[in-house]
Amino acid sequence: MLGPTERIAFLLLVIVCGGLATHGFLRIARIVRLGKAAERTDGLAGRLINALIDVGLQRTIAKARPLVSLAHGFVFFGFSFYILVNVNDLIEAYVDGWTTIGAGTLAGVFNLLSDLFSVLILIGMLSLLVRRFVAKPKTLEFNSNVLLQAKAAGGGVRRDSLIVGVFILIHVGARWLGTAFHLAHNGHGDPWLPTASVVAQGFAGMSPDTLELAMHICWWLAMGLIMVFLPYFPRSKHLHLMIAPLNLALHKSTPHGELDDVIDASAPGAKTLTDLPWPSLLDSYSCIMCNRCQEVCPAHESGTPLSPAALEINKRYWLNANSSSLLAGGESPMLLDFATSSEAVWSCTTCYACVEICPVGNAPMFDLVEMRRSIVFEGNAPDDLAEVLRSLDEKGNSFGQSARRRAKWTRGLDFKIPDARKQPVEYLWFVGDFASYDPQCQEISRTVARILHAAGVDFGILYEGERSAGNDVRRTGEEGLFEALTEQNVETLAACEFERIFTTDPHTFNALKNEYGDGVTVPVEHYTTLLLRLVESEEIQLGDGSRGKATYHDPCFLGRYNGGFDAPRALIEACGTELVEMPRNREQSFCCGAGGGRIWMKDQDGITERPSDNRIREAMSLGAIDYFVVSCPKDLTMYRDAVKSTGNDGKIEVRDIVEFVADAMGLNDEPGDGAEAIPRAGDEAEAGAAPANG
Amino acid sequence: MNTVVLLKRVPDLVEDLEVDSSGTALDSEHLKLTLNEFDDHALEQALLLKEGGGGEVTAVALDSEDVDKMLFTALAKGADRALKITGTGAVNGTSELAEVFAQALGSVNYDLVLTGVQASDDIDGQLAPTVAAKLSVPCIEVITGVEAGDGSVTVHKEYAGGVLAEFEMTLPGVLGIQAAAQSPRYAPVSKVRQIQDSATLDEVAGAGGDNGKFSIVVMTPPETGEGAQMLESVEELIAVLDSKGVI
Ligand code: SF4
Ligand code: SF4
Repeated sequence: MLGPTERIAFLLLVIVCGGLATHGFLRIARIVRLGKAAERTDGLAGRLINALIDVGLQRTIAKARPLVSLAHGFVFFGFSFYILVNVNDLIEAYVDGWTTIGAGTLAGVFNLLSDLFSVLILIGMLSLLVRRFVAKPKTLEFNSNVLLQAKAAGGGVRRDSLIVGVFILIHVGARWLGTAFHLAHNGHGDPWLPTASVVAQGFAGMSPDTLELAMHICWWLAMGLIMVFLPYFPRSKHLHLMIAPLNLALHKSTPHGELDDVIDASAPGAKTLTDLPWPSLLDSYSCIMCNRCQEVCPAHESGTPLSPAALEINKRYWLNANSSSLLAGGESPMLLDFATSSEAVWSCTTCYACVEICPVGNAPMFDLVEMRRSIVFEGNAPDDLAEVLRSLDEKGNSFGQSARRRAKWTRGLDFKIPDARKQPVEYLWFVGDFASYDPQCQEISRTVARILHAAGVDFGILYEGERSAGNDVRRTGEEGLFEALTEQNVETLAACEFERIFTTDPHTFNALKNEYGDGVTVPVEHYTTLLLRLVESEEIQLGDGSRGKATYHDPCFLGRYNGGFDAPRALIEACGTELVEMPRNREQSFCCGAGGGRIWMKDQDGITERPSDNRIREAMSLGAIDYFVVSCPKDLTMYRDAVKSTGNDGKIEVRDIVEFVADAMGLNDEPGDGAEAIPRAGDEAEAGAAPANG
Repeated sequence: MNTVVLLKRVPDLVEDLEVDSSGTALDSEHLKLTLNEFDDHALEQALLLKEGGGGEVTAVALDSEDVDKMLFTALAKGADRALKITGTGAVNGTSELAEVFAQALGSVNYDLVLTGVQASDDIDGQLAPTVAAKLSVPCIEVITGVEAGDGSVTVHKEYAGGVLAEFEMTLPGVLGIQAAAQSPRYAPVSKVRQIQDSATLDEVAGAGGDNGKFSIVVMTPPETGEGAQMLESVEELIAVLDSKGVI
């Protein structure tokens, strides 16, 4: 279709713009390689295939914002098909007489799809622009105390969105109109091109020369514009369409709950931008700046200066402005100077919500942990945290209490829990700090013990031999202390005989399951899993009767981190309690605010609402609910406080799941009111039903 | 300005303290030692002085359970040298301890000696003035701020009731630190471990110690009273007074 001059002009455009773009892409590759080592390329083929499937099905995008995701789907599927359209248009430009119009059924199907997809892309893109520029959702704004690079704060992201949006509208709009001009030139419509045929009627009165000219202009607006736009890609957030699939493929493949090890023990973590592992640098190029991570971030929601989105955006903006000097050997910038503030770093609850929700596979949380590692190593841990770390180092618990009093809670039981250090047991119960030392949680621990004792389970604890498992210690960045605690626990465990471990605390559960390496080789489970199995095997017998209406809070380290969504729910329902879900449930559960060591630090100045208060408000919005059910000792204390501080005392009761189980087993019935305490399964004649003693 | 910090390990009060069968000492079986919290502030103040104006910081401690880790921690925080006083045998009370420290300081070049203002096991007085007396140098206690001068230090002393005073003390001298200008810094475990592998502790044979002038005759836990009875009303009060025969 193109004339000889046009053909040469386009080729020149390809060479110039393609060259510029290639330069930009290579520069990104060189920047990413400045990051520290990380193992992300094992099983590369499988990684790529999975990423393509995820992208193809728009899985990661569909996790949130359904309408936006639909509009994105229109653009995404449209553009995927447009690759064929663009190839066709190139051929059409350089092969005389080539056209798909009126060229048979196959070409007809192609035309139909290109016609429909053009319209869908235009609809999708317009909706996205209207959302951003007319509806202006609050989620695209940042808390005023969030550190943001000047260009981004000055509307850089909006401008970028506008440029990309307009490019797409022109590119697709021109292609679509070009087809309409073509049809008008032919003098008749084409049933395979329904929408273009309608538009073509409007051009019916134009002269063939005008139509010919219009077709050429449209071709250039569609195809030439791609070339002009190409060098802009490496600087734009629109780059996500190339980097995101790659980033998804190179995502961490180890369990969610296993942090990467420290790379350089003499200078752990990240102080400067290039101290970060390379996937963190790739993240910044992948980021589409959608703020989905910020929207689910409990720290941002509570008004702290932390925004995981701003962290990625700041990295990107800094790199856009300074990559040349960095590549020329210039100094790598201090992260705390431009990426995020120290207060923000310490606001993270390591709840994993940002990583879970990010459509392009970014993991801002890992950057924050790397920064913490460096801050702690330099001796700058916040004072309140430092005090707890000292206690964990000296006493093995976060309560500053005597290690010898760790099992004092067992004194309230009328039986003795076997000491797993002295006798073999089937189940080793790793109790955890909160369940051992917190007075409210001790009651729950005793209930767990009574349930298992009644069910005839062969279990034991480590008494004062247990130390904090170190899950949150690791997430404060105190890697050395985490290692020390791990070594002590592993040494104690190695001298005991047991077949499985169960824990009360989801944090402890996560560490033992995912971060103890060869130190723990037996299955590790959360008590909800164990209890459900005992209920299903009828070793625990639950009485009939209904026990109110409840909503359940997924603890981050059981749910989002380890997929433990179903057992707690099944247990609650098995106890005759009606379960009503909060809007944010399962993977989307909202963190209580305690994780990542936050429970050891005081509230940040000027927070607007504690995450736990926010969560109780969410529960209260469900209407008449009797119970707020938890399966984590930290949650028990956090939410009991939150019920009081939100003025809901007496309106909703925070209960641990085991309290329902104990009720349903009749363990809490007063002796003499008819319900006999359930005898131990092991006491029954058919003791074969009880697990064999190990 | 070279600073020496005297560090003391004291019984950790979160443990149950019990008197042993001799009735004159704590039962060592249940005893866990920890760094005296005020000494930690003294160390922090010394490190701040070093960071502000240079000089060396030497941490000195008597050999005891876990003392190595404590001294390596001081090095990890930024102390330049750690000195362990070994082989002293039993050291009873502050006066004897001060003698041991004073003798050990003979081998150290210092301008300023810092130590915690008090410790839970100060039996016969506080360490700072006792050491100062043995060294024949001045001493000021209950210090909450130190600024280095030329051959002297300006210190802030806190009196009861919140009254503050500022002193200038000629060096050498001893200060009993109540609180450093900032909370004691945290030494990350990995750094302590790295220091443990790369640095060594200096040792000096202890001299002084048990001088026979001081011994503990009896040690008992404080007697607990019977507790207070909370009265809810005037009537109850009258009833109690009546039952005691007061009215
Ligand atoms: S990190 Fe992910 S979720 Fe957050 S703004 Fe960037 S693309 Fe969106
Ligand atoms: S892990 Fe949770 S708290 Fe931390 S940045 Fe991500 S969403 Fe926010």
